[in-house]
Amino acid sequence: MNQQKRFDKLNKALIYVILFFFSIVSLLPLYWVFSTSMQLSSYESPEMERPISYVDSNPPKMYPMGFKLYFEHWGEAREAEKAGNTEEAQYHRDQMSHIMNNTFSSFVTLFKKHDIGKWFINSFYIAVVVTLGILLLDSMAGYVLAKKRFPGRNVIFWVIISTMMIPGQVTLVPMFIMIRDLGIMDTHWALILPDLSMVFGVFLMRQYMYSIPDELLEASKIDGASEWKTFWTVVLPLAKPGLAALGIFTFMNVWNSFLWPIIVLNNADLYTLPVGLKTLQDANLASFKLLMSGAAIAAIPMIIVFLIFQRYFVKGLTLGGVKE
Amino acid sequence: MKWVKRSFLSILSVVLLAGLLVACTDDEGSSDDDGNWTGTITIWDGPRWPDEDDNKYHWLEAKAAEYEEENEGIEIEIVQVPWAEMGDKLGVSIAGQSWPDIAPVDISGSAVSIDHIEQGVIESVDDLFTDEELDDFYENSLEAYTFNDQLYGIPNSITVHSMLLNLDLFEEQGVEPPADGKWTWDEFLNTAQELTFDRDGDGETDVYGFSTYILEGYYEAWPFFYKDGGQPLSDDLSEFTFNSPEAVKAIQDLADLKHEHDAAPETLGGNDVGGTFQAWANEEQRTVAMQPWATWAIQSAQSEYPTNFMVAEYPIGERSEHVTIGGVGGWIMFSQDSDGKREAVGDFMKYLSTTEEQYTMATEYGIFPARKSSADMDPYAENEQMARAQEMTSDVVMLPRHPEWKKIDEIIQGKLQTVFNGEKTAQEAMDEAQELVNDLLE
Amino acid sequence: MEGNKTLASTTVSNRDLKPPNKPIYQMKRNIWKEMKKNYSSYLFLLPKLVLFSLFIAFPVVWALVLSFQEYRVNGSIFIGLDNYISVFKSEAFMIALKNTALFTAVTVPFNIISALVVASLIFPLGKISQNFFRSAFYLPTVTSMVIIAMVWRWMYNYDFGLFNHILGWFGIESINWLGQSSTALWALIIMQCLIPFGVGIIMYLASMGAISNTLYEAATIDGAGAIKKWFYITIPLLKPTTLYLVLLSTIGSFQVFTQIIMMTGGGPDNATETLVHLIYKTGFRDFEFGLAAAQSVVLFLIILVFSVIQFRMLRHDE
Repeated sequence: MNQQKRFDKLNKALIYVILFFFSIVSLLPLYWVFSTSMQLSSYESPEMERPISYVDSNPPKMYPMGFKLYFEHWGEAREAEKAGNTEEAQYHRDQMSHIMNNTFSSFVTLFKKHDIGKWFINSFYIAVVVTLGILLLDSMAGYVLAKKRFPGRNVIFWVIISTMMIPGQVTLVPMFIMIRDLGIMDTHWALILPDLSMVFGVFLMRQYMYSIPDELLEASKIDGASEWKTFWTVVLPLAKPGLAALGIFTFMNVWNSFLWPIIVLNNADLYTLPVGLKTLQDANLASFKLLMSGAAIAAIPMIIVFLIFQRYFVKGLTLGGVKE
Repeated sequence: MKWVKRSFLSILSVVLLAGLLVACTDDEGSSDDDGNWTGTITIWDGPRWPDEDDNKYHWLEAKAAEYEEENEGIEIEIVQVPWAEMGDKLGVSIAGQSWPDIAPVDISGSAVSIDHIEQGVIESVDDLFTDEELDDFYENSLEAYTFNDQLYGIPNSITVHSMLLNLDLFEEQGVEPPADGKWTWDEFLNTAQELTFDRDGDGETDVYGFSTYILEGYYEAWPFFYKDGGQPLSDDLSEFTFNSPEAVKAIQDLADLKHEHDAAPETLGGNDVGGTFQAWANEEQRTVAMQPWATWAIQSAQSEYPTNFMVAEYPIGERSEHVTIGGVGGWIMFSQDSDGKREAVGDFMKYLSTTEEQYTMATEYGIFPARKSSADMDPYAENEQMARAQEMTSDVVMLPRHPEWKKIDEIIQGKLQTVFNGEKTAQEAMDEAQELVNDLLE
Repeated sequence: MEGNKTLASTTVSNRDLKPPNKPIYQMKRNIWKEMKKNYSSYLFLLPKLVLFSLFIAFPVVWALVLSFQEYRVNGSIFIGLDNYISVFKSEAFMIALKNTALFTAVTVPFNIISALVVASLIFPLGKISQNFFRSAFYLPTVTSMVIIAMVWRWMYNYDFGLFNHILGWFGIESINWLGQSSTALWALIIMQCLIPFGVGIIMYLASMGAISNTLYEAATIDGAGAIKKWFYITIPLLKPTTLYLVLLSTIGSFQVFTQIIMMTGGGPDNATETLVHLIYKTGFRDFEFGLAAAQSVVLFLIILVFSVIQFRMLRHDE
């Protein structure tokens, strides 16, 4: 029995080791984004022949060297001060400020020399508008498709659902011609309107609305509430978890969308973050440190959203995946 | 709660329709009392040199403001488009029939091709200048904008590709740079080998003599392929000729810098433009001694990436005279509906292309003026490197101007990549390219 | 209220046209009545339906029409099957199809199996560990593919990339990952395999939670070990989830695009050309709209056929 226990423990330890290894593989690229974005790109000390960059160093440095060197200089500056050697202390202080400046230099560059602030605002604005729109439209549609009986309901539902099978690229060209004919090329409308027509949410909200008990709706009706009031005061509050899940997925999809924006946006003023990052990379003169800083800025909001609303992600996935 | 419903519905319809309607109203402009056209002129431009606030569009913004002041009722709308996206975006906007009035491109086919001229997308600017005025422009710059004896744009700059040599590395190895930047292929090859060395003695090469890349739309490596007399297409554009013996030899020669002579890094002929430049220019790297670049790199190596360098010609092969590839930049006008607006747009284009403006461009932005009068102002009196590159403008050959050039280029560059990564010989790769390209030439 | 009024007035006019007292019309009239009674439901649906028809349904139909046309600014012309013929005759399309198929054939099974294994390892753990690992594996999924592609391009860098450095530890010579036709596509495949299939892991975890414990208990009494239980209980019961995930990731990887445009541009020499990248190029670099539409219709048909086959296969074994 004792042996069995030891075996179990060993097993468990092994599982943890394996999982930790996989997690490292999984998170390494993201780590590398942040590590490179803060890597020291220019450092010079008396014993060196020429300034070196730890970004393009061979072998690559596994963590931002600036932090390590900062503390080294800090320690030496303290010692020099104790020994009363002000000149040396000053040297180390200067090195410290140089290291700090250089470590975060590309973030400063991105905001000063490139339009990343503008791209960020554009992305955020579009994502918020689309998310709010989708939440409203899809919950309205999902609600009646789940809870009402009326002629054409099934036809409408199946027509909508069947288009989910069609890859988005099919509509690329016609949509482009249409956006052109509507005269909204190179405007944010060209992104918002097609995004508002995505149908995944209708499906998801319909699934969710089924779980709302009919009695509550009837009770509201007996109280004399209008359809809209029932929807607004009874249905929506009950659907909050579903709305949260849909909202998060919509936000994520819009925030990360790429193919369509690179087609319809020309004006650099209107770029969203992914489009901006592509132009940054295409401009060819950006160092990898700068590119990774841009990537980091684009990644942070989604990481925060995910960490805060994690359980809704899980909910949204499992809800959307339930088969009829 | 009726008001909720009503306001909700009205908000929704406003949201849906307002955007469409606002965007749909097309500004065709009108005329003021004197019969002058008034309205908005849209111009695209890429980032140029920065001012103190790092605004790289300040030159055009200032010119536009001046022009608006002088011409009441005309507004200039500037659309900022990064250079790397300019061709694709312009293509999309042409297909989307949402083109600007003015754009800073040529008619070689990278963004706008002679097909577009035939479709009437591009407006002729023949009547903007008198013959005397045109005499002020260099012949080859006008040629680049001429189709069927009509002028389709105002040239404002000429660029060339040239070799940039890092003199610190020459010194470190005690290698003599070519006198006046002229050399033969054998001299170049020797130099490249001498500049390839192991600095720290760990048995691995730290510095290579030469590197460049191969990528759609980039031609830094191409003058090498012309060195023995080869060219991509025959003069009448009817045949693919990069598989001729002289071209194949030249291609193989350059690739063998890596495969045979180990004088170039593994990344020679790769597709990383930025990485290649950093390897030459970045103070912390400097791992390649010689690279060919377009003119902007000279400016960059004088300012952003201070480098001790000289400008040299491409090495000469059996052709026995130096050739390089260059380009002509300028402004083109897109199709206009009204004569009034057409006149106004042309006037503004002229306003941007005066002798003084081209001189400013030359000194600040590092491109060679297309006007002789601007060149006569001697913008490079104190800039030896730019002056040396400017001399090469007379050696420039233009790329073939074929409407399908983008596709042809893609095929050729793709096949060239397989030569440089060692998967095919130049002969094999170019024979494959011939088959594909000739399909397009028919 | 606008919509309401038009709806009502159509109802009236239609009804006036119908001759009375015939049963079939009676039914129709009932439908109208029903519709009128439920006008609010239609109002609720209206905004989404308008957008849906304008930006999804209509473009889908138009794509079909376009694929039989040569698109021209001033009036397209009908050219029958010519676009489809050039699709199948074009070498570029065949290369793209082959690359996409290889990409899918390797990454989909790998991703599904690894998601299943990881989920099975996570499932028995305590709540805190479960949450931790779930986040660790899902985080890359919420990150934009643009970002992931940028960093992988950097990690594949020949001179300074992480991977060549790691190879160096084992004494293996550096590889020009994205620069050679022989390795470029595999570099993208490896990348796709090493990005955890977060959706899969979460859905497997959820489905595992729904498997009743009594089955496992019964198996334990019969003396079955953990591995045996996994093979004979877990996997069969997860089949619907697996089916869904296989469909999902097949559709996804047939549409691979962002990595291509950010990392290789389809090169070198078409070695990493994929279907969607080709459609993008045909449509928005060469502006052959009809051809691009035909390519996208073919892509759709391929996905459809694969989905049907997979659906059948996985259902028939039961």
